[in-house]
Amino acid sequence: MKIKSVAFWLGTIIVLLIFVLPLMWMYLTSIKANADIYSTSISKLFVFSPTLENYHHLFFKTGFLREFWNTLVVAVSSTALVMAVSLPAAYSFSRYNTGHGHLLFITISTRMFPGAVAAIPFFFGFKALGLLDTTFGLTILYLYFNMSFAIFLLYGFFREIPVELEQAAMIDGHSQLAIFRKVIFPLIKPGAAITAIFCLVFSWNEFLFAFLFTRTAARTVNIGLSTFWTATGMNWGAMAGCTAAAIMPTLAAAWFMQRYIIRGLTFGAVKG
Amino acid sequence: MSVRENEINTEMVAPLDFSGKRTLWETLTGEKYYKWTLIIPLLLVLAIFMLYPMIYCLFYSFHEWGMRKPPTFAGLENYRDVLRDSKFWLALFKTLQVLVFSIGVELVVAMGISVMFNREFRGQNPIRGFILLPLLISPLAVSMMWNFFLQYDFGVINLTLNLIGLPKVLWFSPKWALYTIAMISIWQWTPFSIFVLLAGLKSLPRDMFEASRVDGASAWYTFWKITLPNLVPLIMIIVLLRTMWLIRLFDPLYGTTRGGAGTELLDWQVYRETFVYFDIGRGSSMAIISLVLTLVVCAIMFRQLMKVLGSQEG
Repeated sequence: MKIKSVAFWLGTIIVLLIFVLPLMWMYLTSIKANADIYSTSISKLFVFSPTLENYHHLFFKTGFLREFWNTLVVAVSSTALVMAVSLPAAYSFSRYNTGHGHLLFITISTRMFPGAVAAIPFFFGFKALGLLDTTFGLTILYLYFNMSFAIFLLYGFFREIPVELEQAAMIDGHSQLAIFRKVIFPLIKPGAAITAIFCLVFSWNEFLFAFLFTRTAARTVNIGLSTFWTATGMNWGAMAGCTAAAIMPTLAAAWFMQRYIIRGLTFGAVKG
Repeated sequence: MSVRENEINTEMVAPLDFSGKRTLWETLTGEKYYKWTLIIPLLLVLAIFMLYPMIYCLFYSFHEWGMRKPPTFAGLENYRDVLRDSKFWLALFKTLQVLVFSIGVELVVAMGISVMFNREFRGQNPIRGFILLPLLISPLAVSMMWNFFLQYDFGVINLTLNLIGLPKVLWFSPKWALYTIAMISIWQWTPFSIFVLLAGLKSLPRDMFEASRVDGASAWYTFWKITLPNLVPLIMIIVLLRTMWLIRLFDPLYGTTRGGAGTELLDWQVYRETFVYFDIGRGSSMAIISLVLTLVVCAIMFRQLMKVLGSQEG
């Protein structure tokens, strides 16, 4: 029994090291000066004088704060849009089997289209409408980007709600709309919250569309991050600082909402 | 609003109203059309974001269009060129390689870890929380972070290898780059498989395992005959989603090799063809081919998944 328990904790520690150590190392690097980062001596890995130089550079010499704000605006507004479209649609799919699964599959398959090419028609369309490099344009694109996953998730959550509840409400003479508002919505709220968290995180992390559709005004943190790679090579210290700051919100989300996120990951295929 | 609702209520209570004077709103929320009304926004979004780019792409995949000159009709020429291009097949093959390698490693590793964690232990919540962390970080940030760790001269991985007496490795050389990128993706996404499988393990009825223990079955036998078959739907979900995501692998390439060192995967090639060379016709035809391949593979998986989920319910 004892050997078993030792083996278990050893395994746990190894697993933790694999997944957490790289992140901690990133934060450690972000408070190193470039001279220490580029050093090839082992001792410099741990022994160095900490500095906030990288963060100072990030906040005062780059457009990071602006990029952070842009990303926040786009993530929140696109998530609101996604939910407005996905909630009724997923409800219809799960309750009435609308389209006999075909339409659901088509919806999910929107993500199978190579992003770069889905971008071409939009690029010209946005150019004509003056939506290039605007947060509004990016918001619309993220509606497309997140919708299929949101519907897939919500579909699972709606399936968990027993039909009997609705039938009872129907017999009581409530209209369909009233049922959705008074019976379904309170029950789907946790699932909807989980879906919204995922949409926020995915929007925050999206790169390809942001890369193709923004230049300066609507740049997101990911685009800011990619600019540390210049023709002369990577400025690793600044990059480490930017990464550390850029991933902070999603790390916080992962930490504080782990229970809900883990529940969302199982798509309602597993109850409990 | 409340007046409006009352109207609908009376409408619903008295469905035997043959007056035939229904307003548009009442028709939309009526029994027959309600389910379609709910998906009108979705249909609109699909039309704009799916139909439009698809038709656009399909149209220009039959055209020669290099941006500088107006497009001219070229029939199936683009498709013929792409299918004859060994670079396209190489990219396809490499994408497949990454797909099989990543999903294989992820499933095996995640299965081991989730079986290990399928118990109550002290500090289980914070430990699970820590494992969740990589999953929600921007893939671009992850790849740049690993790019930094894997630098030849001063990367922490090579320095550590040196310390324990192993030679340094050129992680982004043609020999290793593809697997390095796959490993970066595996590092980020294994937690996803862990949590899906762990939820599956927790939902399995306990008496099933007790019965097999009473029968004197070994842990290994129990795993293969009871645990694994019950996890099949979840494994299918993982494979389906990871396939969809991995075929579209792009960010880790941007953060590391940018398609160099023999790591030009399918989506990167499409991107380069369209946004670097501005060969819209060719890029479009590649996209259509790639889309059809993905659709066929995922449709088969999706159908299987629906079958399994359906049989579970009944």
